[in-house]
Amino acid sequence: MEAATVARPRRRGSGLSERRLAAAMVSPSLIVIALVAAYPIGYAIWLSLHEYSVRVPGLSRWAALKNYDTALSSSEFWEALRNTFLFTGISVTIELVLGIAFALAMHQAFKGRAVLRATVLVPWAVLTFGSGLLWRSIFEPDLGFANSMLSALGLPGGDIVWLGTEGYAMAVMIFADVWKTAPFMALLLLAGLQVIPDDVYDAAKVDGASAWQRFMSITLPLLKPAILVALLFRTLDALRVFDLPFALTQGANGTNTLSLHAYQELTANRLVGLGSALSVLTFLIVMVVSFMYIRFVGGNIRGLADER
Amino acid sequence: MRITRVMSAALACAALAVAGCGGDDKETEGVKKVEPGTSKQAKGNVTWCIGKDTTGTFSKAVKEFSSKGQVKAKLIELPADAGEQRTQLVQRLRAKSSECDVLGMDVIWTAEFAAQSWLQDVSDVVAQRKDDWIPSTLETAKYEDKYWALPYNTNAGFVYYRTDQVQAPPDNWEAVYSEAEKGDGIVYQGARYEGLTVNFLELLYSAGGKVLSDDGKTVEIDSPEAVEVLKFMADGIEQGAAPKAVTTYMEEESQRAFLSGKATFMRNWPYVYSLGKDSKIADDFDITTFPKFGGGEGAGVLGGYDVAISAYSKNPEGAAAFAEFLTSPDWQRTIMTEASLPSTLTKTYDDPAVQKAFPFAVKLRTAVEQAQPRPVTPVYPQVSEAIFKNVHAALQGEMAPDAATKKMKGDIDKALQTF
Repeated sequence: MEAATVARPRRRGSGLSERRLAAAMVSPSLIVIALVAAYPIGYAIWLSLHEYSVRVPGLSRWAALKNYDTALSSSEFWEALRNTFLFTGISVTIELVLGIAFALAMHQAFKGRAVLRATVLVPWAVLTFGSGLLWRSIFEPDLGFANSMLSALGLPGGDIVWLGTEGYAMAVMIFADVWKTAPFMALLLLAGLQVIPDDVYDAAKVDGASAWQRFMSITLPLLKPAILVALLFRTLDALRVFDLPFALTQGANGTNTLSLHAYQELTANRLVGLGSALSVLTFLIVMVVSFMYIRFVGGNIRGLADER
Repeated sequence: MRITRVMSAALACAALAVAGCGGDDKETEGVKKVEPGTSKQAKGNVTWCIGKDTTGTFSKAVKEFSSKGQVKAKLIELPADAGEQRTQLVQRLRAKSSECDVLGMDVIWTAEFAAQSWLQDVSDVVAQRKDDWIPSTLETAKYEDKYWALPYNTNAGFVYYRTDQVQAPPDNWEAVYSEAEKGDGIVYQGARYEGLTVNFLELLYSAGGKVLSDDGKTVEIDSPEAVEVLKFMADGIEQGAAPKAVTTYMEEESQRAFLSGKATFMRNWPYVYSLGKDSKIADDFDITTFPKFGGGEGAGVLGGYDVAISAYSKNPEGAAAFAEFLTSPDWQRTIMTEASLPSTLTKTYDDPAVQKAFPFAVKLRTAVEQAQPRPVTPVYPQVSEAIFKNVHAALQGEMAPDAATKKMKGDIDKALQTF
């Protein structure tokens, strides 16, 4: 164990054996993390620095940063990046607002609450690819449910080719994502709501705070850690969105995303190097976003803890 | 900061999951060749890997073959989607797995698989009974003047039309579109995927255009024919001969639109025929082979599956015996009458039982005979992507036909230069 050897020269008193023990106990999990996380990452980076022939079996060559150059100089990458961020920004915002609303509703004591909490998760339990295909047939022009209903109700939009028009296609994708994951968001936030002690609210009520004031000054601040976790999960998930555009449009009409683009190059076109470079770029983008979250929003958690 | 580290490790894992499947294949051994006749003494076991057995004939083939001779065959079902099947086969072949002896391959994979030395050369097996097959179907099994597979089932598109709206099927595409504009339009597969490549190529081949030169080395798609075809398709949508919705249609959506009576014409595969006979327009439609375009001849694009023998098979004799069984006249008749899979053998179509199951059998054979394979190149997926992406952009009005054609040429050039 490397950690243990490093610790040896500073042998002093009984604190040390404790430290060694800690290192020894942590090391198995570190090894596991290294195996399941570091190895594939390293391997992907290695692949991304090579070119693998699609003609001659087994032929490969060192490509340095050529794959990255190809990836970054293609307009498709930048389009996919823009689409991915647009999708993430809008869908996660809507999911957060709806999620808080659902969570507050489910937090109230009423009859059948347990049933509601379970049923609200149904969309989350549906396979995304399956629900994607379902939405695809719902938004099918002419024969789809969406257009038929809009026409029957005399509303505008009955003649829109939803998935065939840029903008609308993205809207459908966001809609399908919100439908699926707002309940999940709600459940995460509900868990956060349940740890806020009731007496804080009682005290506020005694002081004459209105419902809105109680929400803004008690619920929201105390819910922040849960919100952060929920936001982080959803954002990272949304940045890697693959199944929805794959099922809905195959990336047509302004819905191509980073993951779908990488998949296309890696699997369909068998460009292992370029596909890996795209995956590494996606990974870096996801990393940067998550660091920003933890740096800016996460700081608040610690701040909150100190205040208390 | 602990949370950060754990988090980043987890993220890294998730973000890179998609990249985990690359492999470094270091394989450069000589091509194996199947000698004809050796299959007679074959024994042991063979495994057939092919897509999902939706008709039940794959497992029936395995059972029937096993009961007849010394070789016992087994079936491994791959996913229903062709792209997924390819992924699964590529993974096995990269790992040099001997799990699959006989491979069920979409006709567009031949060049790619053969170039990677994943298949055994079956030229001598084909040579023994070359005249049995419809010549165009053999082209799908050919790469660099050798045969790498036996054509199993073929496929070619048709123009479906409403007999209550159109007197006689027009013999040229221009007339189809103008009739469509007067009637309820034409639907086809215009979504951004492989199907659009096929739909575009049918028109391009009919106009006399080409994608690659005969040696497969130079791009010839930047022709006046290609621009004309693209303009024809884009104008068709703009002027209402085809609904804008076709840019989202795959096979199923087109079929739903046509069978529910919302279109006058449809381009689709033969499988819709029997569905149509159960639909509300059962008595009001018929099919015809592809019409001419401009100065060219009517031409389709070949679909279907070939059966090949894996280079890593431990029982190539048994595999050859099974592949021969699958392409025998008897079994070819069975797949046609029981699974509606068009046979690759010329004679099957003259069989009365087949003609009873396929009232349009002779038309189908003509469609197959006049159809051409898609560009034969190991980088076919990239070539196809270059086609359907740019054609789609032209259909959406995002790019002018001549600009889209130039872009297609540039993209295919790039694809051909792939390492």
